[in-house]
Amino acid sequence: MSDTQWTRYQVFLQEKPGDPYQDVGSVHAPDGEMALLNARDVFARRPSVASIWVVPADAIFSKTRQELEEHEIGEKGQGLPANQATLPPLPAGEESGVRENYHAYCKPKPSGTQILIGTVEAFSPEEAMRQAIASYSERFPAAQPPFAWWVFPARLATQSDPQEAESLFAPALDKPFRLSTDFHVITAMRTIKIPGPGVRNQKKDDPLITPDS
Amino acid sequence: MTSACYESVRMDNELKNILASWLLSVADDELLLGHRDSEWCGHAPILEEDIAFANLALDEIGHAALWYGLLSGLLGQEPEIYPDRLVYLRSPGEFRNVQLVELPNGDWAFTVLRQYLCDAAELARLERLAHSSYTPLSEGAAKIRNEEIYHYRHSEAWVKRLGLGTEESHRRMQAALNGIWPYTAQIFSPIPGEERLVEAGLVPPAKEIGAAWEARVIPLLYSCKMLLPEAVPVELARDQHTPHLKVLLAEMQSVAREEPEAEW
Repeated sequence: MSDTQWTRYQVFLQEKPGDPYQDVGSVHAPDGEMALLNARDVFARRPSVASIWVVPADAIFSKTRQELEEHEIGEKGQGLPANQATLPPLPAGEESGVRENYHAYCKPKPSGTQILIGTVEAFSPEEAMRQAIASYSERFPAAQPPFAWWVFPARLATQSDPQEAESLFAPALDKPFRLSTDFHVITAMRTIKIPGPGVRNQKKDDPLITPDS
Repeated sequence: MTSACYESVRMDNELKNILASWLLSVADDELLLGHRDSEWCGHAPILEEDIAFANLALDEIGHAALWYGLLSGLLGQEPEIYPDRLVYLRSPGEFRNVQLVELPNGDWAFTVLRQYLCDAAELARLERLAHSSYTPLSEGAAKIRNEEIYHYRHSEAWVKRLGLGTEESHRRMQAALNGIWPYTAQIFSPIPGEERLVEAGLVPPAKEIGAAWEARVIPLLYSCKMLLPEAVPVELARDQHTPHLKVLLAEMQSVAREEPEAEW
């Protein structure tokens, strides 16, 4: 069955100016601008955010540590992103194979998230990844190289306009119930949970049991 | 506008009452639009838009709460109680919203176009309220303007994509415009006594907001190859409602009316 969804865009948030952009998840959208708006509503409704990038998920060239150990980058069947053919063409007048900027991300730990580590200039995603690994690996302990690397062409990212940051992100900051601690449910639940003598042992599996029940 | 700052205590009763009617009109528009928007929760075309639109609904209801709060202050009413009474215990005839925001949601094209036209009107109003001689109004406008800039961007993005999208999306947008356009004049129809508010520098003239609104929305509609209907918009007073308001309020107020004295 063919996928009838819109394009999936990966979303990267920057919490404060100067902070690295971090992967937070993805949204579907018909184009980059709508992806940016959707990302704002899905991922920046409550947290502090200074800037957003979105990029078509298909544009991301990805390698895990294990893949890097087993294959050369760009080896047949392991090289190009699955849907490279669907990517937007290069700017008019430039043929494929021109040097361009790639943003490089890596995920230091399996449980962590992809974090922007730098930008490299390359002819292809494969070259960009080789350069990123060569340039940035020294920032990690030799025994614990990053768990995965991502690169994508900078021209395919849609960025929030710094001049619009206020209307995009400032309203979140004075919302009530912005943080999980603003909800009194947790404290209320704890009060309910305080059991009478002996109840905890009797009904160990039911965390919400009250003395009266 | 005068540079003097008005304190509510310095207003004569007549001026205070006109300002109260003005605040009620603006607040009721926001409340009803927010309520209609909230009806999309769980039904919007895609998950991301469902989240976005529910968020927008909350924002509009938040704006209504701000204006009802100012109204409470102006009338010396209890700010914790009075807005709830206005929302949940008034009869349809006492509401002062325009008919456009009480109409049922229709299809997504209708919803998006109504939202866009209302966002543009609100933005034009807020930009001018920043210069109000009544500090609570200028501060309130400044507080919600950022949010409204974003709403406008969001609904404008949708209007462009549907207006210039497929044959079907364009047809639906044009049908929505034909249905909505006659209702827009009511938004910019001055409330009785408005000239006193304008003279005191409290609020901008409704006609001025209307002109700024036209200058913003008509070029966008044309750029989406949409045609303005020939039907001449009718300027109705704000106590004129469609039968839809009664149905909407019956649902919105049902719980509160079961137990009017309940504490929430």
